[in-house]
Amino acid sequence: MSAVVDTHGHGHAGHDHGHGHHGPYGGIMRWITTTNHKDIGTLYLWFSFIMFSVGGTMALVIRAELFEPGLQIVNPDFFNQMTTMHGLIMVFGAIMPVFVGFANWQIPMMIGAPDMAFARLNNWSFWLLPFAATLLILSFFMPGGAPGVGWTMYSPLTVQMGIGMDFTIFAVHLLGMSSILGSINIITTILNMRAPGMTLMRMPLFVWTWLITAYLLVAAMPVLAGAVTMTLTDRHFGTSFFNAAGGGDPVLYQHIFWFFGHPEVYIIALPGFGVISQVIPAFSRKPLFGYASMVYATSAIAILSFIVWAHHMYTVGMPVTGQLFFMYATILIAVPTGVKVFNWVTTMWKGSLSFETPMLFACGFLFMFTLGGFTGLVLALVPIDIQLHDTYYVVAHFHYVMVAGALFAAFAGVYFWIPKWTGRMYNETLGKIHFWATLIFFNMIFFVQHFLGMAGMPRRIPDYPLMFETWNKISTIGAFGMGLAQVLFFYIVLDTIRNGKPAPQLPWEGADSLEWTHLPTPVPYHTFETQPTIR
Amino acid sequence: MSKNARTALILASIAAAFFVGIIAKYWLLR
Repeated sequence: MSAVVDTHGHGHAGHDHGHGHHGPYGGIMRWITTTNHKDIGTLYLWFSFIMFSVGGTMALVIRAELFEPGLQIVNPDFFNQMTTMHGLIMVFGAIMPVFVGFANWQIPMMIGAPDMAFARLNNWSFWLLPFAATLLILSFFMPGGAPGVGWTMYSPLTVQMGIGMDFTIFAVHLLGMSSILGSINIITTILNMRAPGMTLMRMPLFVWTWLITAYLLVAAMPVLAGAVTMTLTDRHFGTSFFNAAGGGDPVLYQHIFWFFGHPEVYIIALPGFGVISQVIPAFSRKPLFGYASMVYATSAIAILSFIVWAHHMYTVGMPVTGQLFFMYATILIAVPTGVKVFNWVTTMWKGSLSFETPMLFACGFLFMFTLGGFTGLVLALVPIDIQLHDTYYVVAHFHYVMVAGALFAAFAGVYFWIPKWTGRMYNETLGKIHFWATLIFFNMIFFVQHFLGMAGMPRRIPDYPLMFETWNKISTIGAFGMGLAQVLFFYIVLDTIRNGKPAPQLPWEGADSLEWTHLPTPVPYHTFETQPTIR
Repeated sequence: MSKNARTALILASIAAAFFVGIIAKYWLLR
């Protein structure tokens, strides 16, 4: 059964297209000066794809070096730079911006607003990003190269690095500023610009998850900015916040970083949860099961995320009481997360299911993210974590959350909304090939890394004993396969834009949010200039 | 002042308080 239904000719009350409004500027000036939420959403999406490609290439360098024991391709210092930049670029340059792209495109359309609350600020939030990315990349060309400190930028290594570290610190400042400004914009838009009748508890769950994520960003990003600012003053202005030689405490940095870092995990995951909460009901042809409990579970996850940070640092020598507190608090997060997984599965239960590409990615997300969450529980247990800390088990765990969680959700979102964005349908066969290739190669890369970690292989090393060779070979082959699958994704997107068949207004018969029911496909440049009323 | 500007100012103040607060805490209260 196909979810594709032809609704050409349906009435669509409340929209306002084609009545003489000015369009965008032509050429490059359109993109530089735009204040249109759809244009800025598109900019975010393409920017994140470019950064995804750069970060992915770095991952391939890492995996190529690890194909066999010994040093083959890069020296250890450059290897450390690769792991650092891969992490920073993927977290701040790829995964976060892709969901801001979704937010820009979808939130105004989903709540019946004409645009974001602060349209010029929105433009600035985006255009900070290319400058931050340039600073990050430029750090490779500085004396001493890019910092090789890991994406966590732990002290005292950061104090010892060359000038590339300063470039990275300023890049993090710019990225943080962009995120905070974007979050202020999103919260203000959602709180103040909803159409009449669009009460908070009637908002699509994607909007809810972004509202909560934006609050997390406002609270967490300034803490990271503070931490790297203190690192900067330790490096150049004679302070000793984290420098033990001057009476500072390197462990303090870890506490401050992870006070940001754990909410950051949910900043990345929650918008993905929102996308999945739109996709699963649409392809199950049922309303989302337990809407209110989903909202409360998301809020509970967000609150709990601020009291679990030290589970990343069980091995620094904290008191047992501290370890127990953070262990129990971390385990507690499994409850609201379990509520969400239960609700997604129950939405599918007895639904009229069909498995187009967005639903395939949503199902892949359900299985793989749950596995990542489960290994998170394993790592939450102090006695086990002390064995597995800084091993490949941790690498496997967080890639199940970041890639199979957030990235799969992003792919589900792109396939789900691309008909609305472009007015054209993607090639379903190619989409399915992309899904299966990504799923299989992803597991080839990361499932075997659980075994490596349990056997004791440390993370962030360019060389390893012979006993780890087989699983590393499989992991590297998987990495190149997954890279190729993403080339296919790029082709699918281009093919959709250029050659895709025209999409109907409602290509997914189970979708029921405003962008599907009230707006034509493709959406006009300006939407909801006349406020719709939601009944 | 518009409702949007008021909301934005409150949120920006929260962000600024977290940024300045975390540095001040470890600078002044050591």
